[in-house]
Amino acid sequence: MISDLLQIHVLIPWLLGMVFGVFVGATPGLTATMAVALIVPVSFYMPDPNTGLAMIIGVSFTAIFAGDIPATYLRIPGTPASAAATLDGHQLAKQGKGGYSLLMDLFCSCIGGLVGVALLMMIAPQLARFALRFSSYEYFWLAIFGLSMSAVVSTGNTRRGLLAAAFGMILATVGLDVVSGAQRFTFGNLELMSGLGFIPVMIGLFGVSEVIRSTMAGFQHNGENLDHNKKENSPLAAVLAIWKNKLTVAKSSIAGTLIGALPGAGADIAAWAAYGIEQRSSKKGQKFGTGEEAGVIAPTSANNAAVSGAWIPALVFGIPGDAVTAIVLGAMMMYEIKPGPLIFEQNPEQVGSIFLIALLTQLLLLPCGYLGLKTFGWLLKLPRSIIMVAVLVFSVIGSYSLRNSIFDVYVMAVFGIVGYFLEAKRVPLAPLILGLILGPMVEENFRTGLIKSEGSLLTFLTRPLCALLLVLLVLAFLSPKLLKLLKGDTNNHDRITS
Amino acid sequence: MKFILTSALFAALSFCAVLFFNGCTPADTETSSEDYPSKTITLICPWAAGGGTDRLSRYMADQLQRELGKPCVVVNRTGGSGVVGHSAGALAKPDGHTITMITSELNSMHWMGITDLTYENFDPLLQLNADAAAIIVRSDSEWNSVSDFLDAARTNPGKLTMSGTATGGVWDLARAGFQLATDIPVNAVRWIPAKGAAPSIVELLGGHIDAVCCSVPEAISQIEAGQLKALCVMSENRLKDYPDIPTVKEDGIDWIGVGWRGLGMPQKTPQAILDKVVAACSKIVRSPEYESFMKKNGFAIKIREGMEFGTFLKEQDDQWKIVVKAAGYAK
Repeated sequence: MISDLLQIHVLIPWLLGMVFGVFVGATPGLTATMAVALIVPVSFYMPDPNTGLAMIIGVSFTAIFAGDIPATYLRIPGTPASAAATLDGHQLAKQGKGGYSLLMDLFCSCIGGLVGVALLMMIAPQLARFALRFSSYEYFWLAIFGLSMSAVVSTGNTRRGLLAAAFGMILATVGLDVVSGAQRFTFGNLELMSGLGFIPVMIGLFGVSEVIRSTMAGFQHNGENLDHNKKENSPLAAVLAIWKNKLTVAKSSIAGTLIGALPGAGADIAAWAAYGIEQRSSKKGQKFGTGEEAGVIAPTSANNAAVSGAWIPALVFGIPGDAVTAIVLGAMMMYEIKPGPLIFEQNPEQVGSIFLIALLTQLLLLPCGYLGLKTFGWLLKLPRSIIMVAVLVFSVIGSYSLRNSIFDVYVMAVFGIVGYFLEAKRVPLAPLILGLILGPMVEENFRTGLIKSEGSLLTFLTRPLCALLLVLLVLAFLSPKLLKLLKGDTNNHDRITS
Repeated sequence: MKFILTSALFAALSFCAVLFFNGCTPADTETSSEDYPSKTITLICPWAAGGGTDRLSRYMADQLQRELGKPCVVVNRTGGSGVVGHSAGALAKPDGHTITMITSELNSMHWMGITDLTYENFDPLLQLNADAAAIIVRSDSEWNSVSDFLDAARTNPGKLTMSGTATGGVWDLARAGFQLATDIPVNAVRWIPAKGAAPSIVELLGGHIDAVCCSVPEAISQIEAGQLKALCVMSENRLKDYPDIPTVKEDGIDWIGVGWRGLGMPQKTPQAILDKVVAACSKIVRSPEYESFMKKNGFAIKIREGMEFGTFLKEQDDQWKIVVKAAGYAK
């Protein structure tokens, strides 16, 4: 079977697709979903379904990794799942270790993806059955968890972080209310009915505000070299750092796969949850956000694992877990592959080749991703003024092309200015984006949960999985204090005995 | 000084951006039916790229390009439960160079006060498909027929939960109309809003809700695997592809609830152009390729052309008006 895939006529479109995924994912303003939507019509021209699927699966994994490249170098996330890389990854780049950070990122993406695919191959049906136990109540707590993680990890700035998250949630209320169909804050504007898209807002907050900042500073960092630390930027150093944090990689990959396997949650929550869990449980928790290796490793292992995880409900139920798998499932129907409960019995060869494609994609990610990060690092040697013009152009294209709406370009511009001022007042931007993405998830699940429970709030606390999530949430908030308490105890103890 | 320079750079860039995108709509030229189409045709899809309606739009665009000899591109104008795309299509210049993939929401959303747009803002070209609503439950459910389900709803008012779309979406209205036809108050079954049929099927499988209302193909992989069963379809006759599922009519319930897709042009498009496009579409939908495309995607074919489609739209509009009011969704 593997020999069928390792044919020139399969490998060439596959690799080309992956390089395309790197380009789209790494371009601020163009997202992973867009990369997949663009490649699907092309894949229909491929002679056999496996070639087409290889292209599509390849693109989805590389684009999620590549989103971390501009997040690390420019502090502009390429996709929403890479927002966590703007923290420690970018700090490392500022210390001249951008290449080091991205190599760790690349290796961990590959490992996270492999762990995800391995779990998919071994226990997909069991995981899918577990995911079925999640309903509105559990998703509500999960969204709250992701949201609080993004806020509490905003280094030493929890209050501002929570404020930003709340602001994001308020912005998320604009548009048609899904539960009642009522219009909120639309002012009769047609475009506002669909709400503020998080992509234009994200591009504005991170990309355009960065352009404004650079412009105001008069492009001082001309030809800044974010890789100048030559010794540190070797693959060997990255491998050693990962080995040191092997537990983090394992933990984050598994958590990422589990979250990805839930039909109602995706790579963005996975990345933040992993980052949060790591920061709250690590001894070096306070150092997170200043360029900690574990702060790079945790979210990136989790987001690629979540992309694999999203395949679990897709294959087992034929139900997409996120926007990317929704497009892929549509493409599979065109190939007359019917994912769903029967595919494992009726078409095991097809399932086998999908697994194999997903596995090989992780390995092919290494050369393609390496090419991407080298190219990007090289492009960054251009004068800052030119880079910023390119960022602005792609930001406009990315915002416009999402819904073919010039309104989204205005939204992007407005949030560029908003982002600039928030940043000047040291308000973290990542919680704001998460608030916008997870706000609707919190609200919808809370309200549908109330409809299901006939208005009882108790159900949100008494379901076993809810209680578990709640305990995790409380632990995450209190863990630094608990750790300190435990440490304090042992110190006293030491004193007494000595 | 630097600030002035950089602001100028900004202004110039934004100006270029606006020019560039406005430039995408080429200068208007008078068109008569002989030289139609004289430029690229835009097919507006009010739903997101990658979904079922989008796939159908792309297929039709590809075929129309072959028939009419000019490029035909799909533009997804999504948002506002379909309002954005439908409005963009209705407000376009009526010169035949903008076609819209219109969907059943066109007949209900104006009754709900979301928009002023109605089916009358479009000149109908033709209907491409119709998917009948079905009531689907878990296979281990004690309900084996539509009357079992109705008895349960009657004896436990307010206890049963159903899902399938957003509140006021096509499947919510279909089950609301179904309940009206059987004298069960609409709120006797609680509708759990969802993002679509797929997430509600997950909820149903997990035992969090009692039933789903959606089209049969949307749940077919679970039905074939024996996890779910369809109690009834709300169509005139039994479905050609799923002849085992009884219609509600067989139980003496006078109700038809379908979701449909079709093509329309802005009103006041010259008749000659309409005729030309209807002729082209009519040829496309009668080809075996169309049949196999629809089968692959699980869409049921239902063709109504020109005025016949117009009459259907009028009937649908009247039907949903009553349901929207009775369900309490009217503005």
